[in-house]
Amino acid sequence: MPKTIRRRSFLKGSAAGLGALVIGTTAPYYFQRNIAKAQEGDIKVGILHSLSGTIAIIETSLHNAELLAIEEINAKGGVLGKKLVPVVEDPQSLVQVFAEKAKKLLLEDKVAAVLGCYTSASRQSVLPVFEEYNGLLLYPTLYEAQECSKNCFYTGAVPNQQLDDFVPWIIQTLGRKKFYMIGSNYIYPKETNREVKALLEKHGGENVGEEYAPLGHTEFSTIINNIAGSGADIVFSDLVGDSIVAFYKQFRQFGFTAADLPICTPITTEQETAAMGPENAAGHYTSFNYFQTVDTPENKSFVERYKAKYGANQVTNAVMEAAYFQTYLLAQAIEKVGNTETDALIFDGLPGQEFKAPQGPVKIDEKNHHTWLWARIGKAREDGQFDIVWTSQDRIRPDPWVDYLYPNKDCDFTDPKVLERVKKPWAEDKNRSGTIDL
Amino acid sequence: MENKAAQRTRVVERAPLLPLWALILGALLIAIIGSFPYLSGTNSYVLLLIGKFLCFAIFALSIDLIWGFAGILSLGQAVYFGIGAYFVALSLKINYAMTHPTRYGSKFPDFMEWNGLTALPTFMEPLINVPFAVVAALAVPTFLAFIFGVITFKRHIYGVYCAVITLAESLILQEFIIEYQAYTGGFNGITDYGNFVGAPFLWIILAVTIAFFLIARFITHSRIGTVLKSVRDNDVRAEFMGYNVANYRIFVFCVSAFMAAAAGAMYAAWVGIVSFLDTGPLFSVEGVIWTAVGGRATLIGPFVGAFLVRGLEFLLSGSWFANYWQVFMGILFIAVVLWIPDGLIGTLGNWIRKYRRGTLTQIREEQDRIAHDRQRDWEPPGAAKPGDELV
Amino acid sequence: MSQALISQVLIGLSVAAILAIAAMGLAIIFGIAGVINMAHGQFIMVGAYTAAVVGQLGGNTFVAIPVAFVVVALLGLIVERGIIQWIYDRPLETLLATWGVGIILEVLMKVIFGPELYYVGAPKILDGGIRLIGRLPYPYYRMFLIAVALVMLFVTLYIIFRTDFGLKVRSVRRNRAMSGCLGIDTARIDMLIFMYGSGLAGIAGAVLAPIKSVSTTMGFSYAVGSYMVIVLGGVGNLLGVPTGSFLIGEGETLLAYKYNAVIGQLLVFVAIVIAIRVFPRGIFGYHERR
Repeated sequence: MPKTIRRRSFLKGSAAGLGALVIGTTAPYYFQRNIAKAQEGDIKVGILHSLSGTIAIIETSLHNAELLAIEEINAKGGVLGKKLVPVVEDPQSLVQVFAEKAKKLLLEDKVAAVLGCYTSASRQSVLPVFEEYNGLLLYPTLYEAQECSKNCFYTGAVPNQQLDDFVPWIIQTLGRKKFYMIGSNYIYPKETNREVKALLEKHGGENVGEEYAPLGHTEFSTIINNIAGSGADIVFSDLVGDSIVAFYKQFRQFGFTAADLPICTPITTEQETAAMGPENAAGHYTSFNYFQTVDTPENKSFVERYKAKYGANQVTNAVMEAAYFQTYLLAQAIEKVGNTETDALIFDGLPGQEFKAPQGPVKIDEKNHHTWLWARIGKAREDGQFDIVWTSQDRIRPDPWVDYLYPNKDCDFTDPKVLERVKKPWAEDKNRSGTIDL
Repeated sequence: MENKAAQRTRVVERAPLLPLWALILGALLIAIIGSFPYLSGTNSYVLLLIGKFLCFAIFALSIDLIWGFAGILSLGQAVYFGIGAYFVALSLKINYAMTHPTRYGSKFPDFMEWNGLTALPTFMEPLINVPFAVVAALAVPTFLAFIFGVITFKRHIYGVYCAVITLAESLILQEFIIEYQAYTGGFNGITDYGNFVGAPFLWIILAVTIAFFLIARFITHSRIGTVLKSVRDNDVRAEFMGYNVANYRIFVFCVSAFMAAAAGAMYAAWVGIVSFLDTGPLFSVEGVIWTAVGGRATLIGPFVGAFLVRGLEFLLSGSWFANYWQVFMGILFIAVVLWIPDGLIGTLGNWIRKYRRGTLTQIREEQDRIAHDRQRDWEPPGAAKPGDELV
Repeated sequence: MSQALISQVLIGLSVAAILAIAAMGLAIIFGIAGVINMAHGQFIMVGAYTAAVVGQLGGNTFVAIPVAFVVVALLGLIVERGIIQWIYDRPLETLLATWGVGIILEVLMKVIFGPELYYVGAPKILDGGIRLIGRLPYPYYRMFLIAVALVMLFVTLYIIFRTDFGLKVRSVRRNRAMSGCLGIDTARIDMLIFMYGSGLAGIAGAVLAPIKSVSTTMGFSYAVGSYMVIVLGGVGNLLGVPTGSFLIGEGETLLAYKYNAVIGQLLVFVAIVIAIRVFPRGIFGYHERR
């Protein structure tokens, strides 16, 4: 072959390469110092969302929402007269890196609290770290529930807040009873569908099919063929990520319209409806506690400020909203207890804390560390936004273990027996001082 | 005189397992790493990283052994790492659940409960015994590698076909883990079973690392190693010389799978989290990259590569340009290929060789030989072959 | 055959077409130029984003196809001149370098276009479908995809076997040194064939975007699928692409229908391993006499 580098003086090349490497290796230290220049007395808050890797698409928007909230809080004078300083880490969508970064945030940066995680997998991987070193995690995502950790507060919806009203609403208002359930193949869709099946039994619906696609699957023709043969009159979808857009697009290409066979889902947000296009999104239903179209003054200003900071074509969605208001909840809690001690925040600051969030006033439950949220059902419009067709009368109590599936389970951090156990330091009782599961 | 010359040849052939300077340097490094828990305290995340990187380095060493010394590019090496990790993680998880009943009311792993199991499945009961699980974690991947080797190498499948077949293997395992999530934890993986971060276990990892390094050094410097290199450089000629090429490949593949499995087993115990990503093709490619950056066909290269690349990733992803840090990694990979194709250690070796013995011409010859070797390890599909047609 | 099964077989054809479209560019770059292009998925991604931009400017898929071809071919030119031209003789190292290219492309696109998903719609003419046979109407867009796959294949075959350029490509591939001696500018041929392969990846991105989702991380799965197709069919043989994609596409859809999507994929991977064991050089690959 005529041209190869080996003809050059390899010494020059390797010296240049080595030089670049040396610069590359040492440069981060300077940058690192740059970021951690938090002054004495500033309050550090860890932000732990993947900015690279497969889940980065969603998590970057959460990261943005949290930074926006921190900026606003600082603009209003900060907390206890001090500034909130974000310490940003990128866990690269890898679960072990989540745990490492959590450890670093707690031990080296000594952050007051960490806002972070999106998938259940990442949350489960960091929880042991938070429990061992008694840190505080605020987790903004809707998830499959059945968990209660002393060191974690969940500001996203649990299934009972999205499904308990949604399924009966479909059966009664839409008058459709034959459910075909599809989902991505992992724990969240399976748990959600288990709950949907229980609700169907309770309210007189029928389960005509259930199917799971591999995560990231984008070829749905077979599943659509199966749906066509099942006689379903509603499709209940728990697909996540890239699958959502591909499914909606292919669903319509195979001749299904929202009027014939609407897709109902607790996951599809404005971000995906905007990406699938008006003709594919319009007419399908989503159940969420927040939509960009929610008509509250707080929401209007939130959407306005978000667009001003990150670009006019940005959309907001429920998970981002949770990421946004949980930052405020944390700030209020620190303000309330007057310091950043983890146990004070966990037992005194955060429980019962209320905030006028964009979706309406929300409150952290006194007992189970989850959040009282509103329930809404939206019908997708042509522009990718949702018409809100139903709103709950009041905030819905979070119930991590719904009664109709787990009658004897609940979690209560005000119970003295539980308190006695969870307040013990980890070193004294490695027998899971943090999480309770009764 | 004649006698002396013959002796000198023998000395060159049978160099000492490790030169003195390497022994001293190695002992120093081992002392630093071994005493790290006392320097930093167990609560340091750096300690966590060091143990993890050592496991990754062993993984990269296992890739180097087959890729650098035998010319087998595997994109499925993570399969063996992952199986080792899953055996240990499952065993630890089952035990943890039994001894921590407040968390697990039903005394068996939470992910099984979520998936509707009511008791530990019978076929998993042997895993309650941790030593058994460790033996299985080492034996099963090695056996699988043996089967795989028989399937592929006996059929003269190598080069890119081997790479893709291993890639498929990796995807199969991933799908399997996600599909049978009641037994494997699925997408969420297995977590929350405690971990062994601390001095004693770090020493175990260190000891295993040293042992594997010496084994690799021994294999590559023995007669087997010489044959392997000749197989890498020209397998047809090696076969004509009477060597059973397939058997040599199977042997080194099994050794490498054993190392990867051991790395995975220690990794699972050390980190306390195992997920399906640890068995996936991306992880295998990462291992290949560590090897290439550090220096292929050198034994220190994989260590340097794993520590450097992973360490850089950890630092960069926490800095203020966390949004763009990956660009630096991309540039690093391209730079390595263009300017230091022998990797950091390989280039350093060339450099030392130049100053030690040899004029520029000799260096050129040496370099030509290296480049020639590299070219030979896989025949590009574009290479001319008699009778080869596009359609 | 039941109605559902007939639909399923037809669907399998379109899935095969999708695989073939994604694999075609790689068949050129990998099969003919001999570069293990790990950035192939990212090339497809750039093509899809080009289609998104064209869509926002008011064009549809028919406009996007040539634009994406040109944009990604130019990208291929940059990559080839900047990196690949130095390492043609080190195929395994192209893996590492193109892996780096892929990472950089992903970050660049994320910086330019933001992290969110992008919308690409199908052209109005190809909206809807027709019920020919089977249970489901067959979407026009999927027919269009099958047509695109066939056109890509035949145009490529024509270029390689019926043009002067193709003759040079074949001669360089056969014997580079001799071709050089005969006055063929081998470096230029390398460059052009790499550009052509990249351009095809761009077209793949543009035509697949309307039925898939468009994001910066969409690439890797296409790259994996493409490598499977090519290795099953046979590296360096253009007829391997339709064969490999037909087998994988039909296999996957029929198995997914019989069992489920996950098992379908699992079994197809197992089948590929077995197939390579039986045909060590791919189905259409050249069987070396040893």
